[in-house]
Amino acid sequence: MIHVFSYRDKRYVYDTGSGALHECDARTADYLAGKPTELTEEELAELGALKKAGLLDAPETTARPQKSRFVKALCLHICHDCNLRCKYCFADEGAYHSAREMMSAETARAAIDFLLENSGDRKVLETDFFGGEPLMNLSVVKETVYYAKAEAKKRGKRFLFTTTTNGLLLDDDAIEFLNEEMENVVLSLDGRPEIHDAVRKTVNGKGSFDAVIGKIKKFVQLRGDKHYYVRGTFTARNLDFSKDVLFLADEGFRSLSVEPVVTDIEDLKLTEAHLPQIEREYETLCDEYVRREREGNGFNFFHFNVDLEGGPCLQKRVSACGAGNEYFSVVPNGDLYPCHQFAGDAAWRMGSVFEGITRTDIREKFANSCLFTREKCGDCFAKFICSGGCSANNYHFNGDIEKPYEMTCAMMKKRVECAMHVLAERKSREK
Amino acid sequence: MIKTIAKPAEKKITGCGECRSTCQSACKTSCTVGNQSCERVTREQDLEKQK
Repeated sequence: MIHVFSYRDKRYVYDTGSGALHECDARTADYLAGKPTELTEEELAELGALKKAGLLDAPETTARPQKSRFVKALCLHICHDCNLRCKYCFADEGAYHSAREMMSAETARAAIDFLLENSGDRKVLETDFFGGEPLMNLSVVKETVYYAKAEAKKRGKRFLFTTTTNGLLLDDDAIEFLNEEMENVVLSLDGRPEIHDAVRKTVNGKGSFDAVIGKIKKFVQLRGDKHYYVRGTFTARNLDFSKDVLFLADEGFRSLSVEPVVTDIEDLKLTEAHLPQIEREYETLCDEYVRREREGNGFNFFHFNVDLEGGPCLQKRVSACGAGNEYFSVVPNGDLYPCHQFAGDAAWRMGSVFEGITRTDIREKFANSCLFTREKCGDCFAKFICSGGCSANNYHFNGDIEKPYEMTCAMMKKRVECAMHVLAERKSREK
Repeated sequence: MIKTIAKPAEKKITGCGECRSTCQSACKTSCTVGNQSCERVTREQDLEKQK
């Protein structure tokens, strides 16, 4: 399958079977899109050569991924409480529709033991400290990290740790620990102060921007070359979110991710009516992104990355995110869920770190789920890049992990096209 | 006129499972495998550079 698309005055052709991206003129694009166009013999020969080389109209893989039975990642809900009250929080402002509670050190250690014991021959394991706000339970985070490292060493394995934080408790001690131990840190900041403050409020109802910006800047300054993402959320209130991404870049942050909100709240939720504006906004951002990169002042926007040369293998591309099979969420009492977005929903409780996985039927459902079980993905050009989308979003919006949520699909496709344009511009500068 | 911008390098190893879990990368809501690299290849290239 080929996907012909325009970006401003450029024409691109993406071949899903081979994963190759081509740039062409308008006549060739029209021809490949099936519009009545006559090409010269020379032009037809060019297309023929690409087909012969397996870079155009190449057959797509239909091989089902091998089912892994090993666990490799846990999201530890180290604290079901939060020191902010963000309106759009899918986690019920930290409480996950349950009591506000902290994970104990004993439960966290049991989670690490569960991961190690079920990780088979996996050498690299991952644990994400998530909340609520994980820094409200920093002593347990620290204890868990040191325990995990020691136990992994005994078994010839190693951990990669991530923490997601709103930054409010980033003092010198927390900064030093996170910079020393975390492979990646995700810091929540929505962008312009008025946008951030309208939604991300303290317990007392005040905006939190002034309370976190200095701390997050200090953290990033001391982070050096290690990975981090300043991660924001856009809602129906800031459909001009490119301004927020650029604001964050202008504040000196070089690794950014601003995500569409997942909520049902009436004045915040994104609807299909917003899509044209959202798509235009991604293009506005992309134009400026390319311009800054060209001028040597670029930054990294998570969704404008696509590695068509060295990206993941096909096995990874068709096997989706691994939630519910290789990856689980652990809530403070040790219960297991397919991922953080299912946490607290009794229907999706899969067992606990103390008793193991008891709902093998749920695990089987996730283990069998892949790109090819998501029928709607069959004719989508982005399928080997998005891998069928987020199971949790599919479930929450369409009632079935196998039914992709159309809004997410539309935004994904636009971002992938922008990412391909960014890649093409980068390649043209390398010459 | 048509020119190739990018094409995948041949992969000698597939399905080793050493790459990061997709949901751990940045966003926790709309992460995609296409944003990731093959970590095994990246690591081996880093080792080569260090030699």
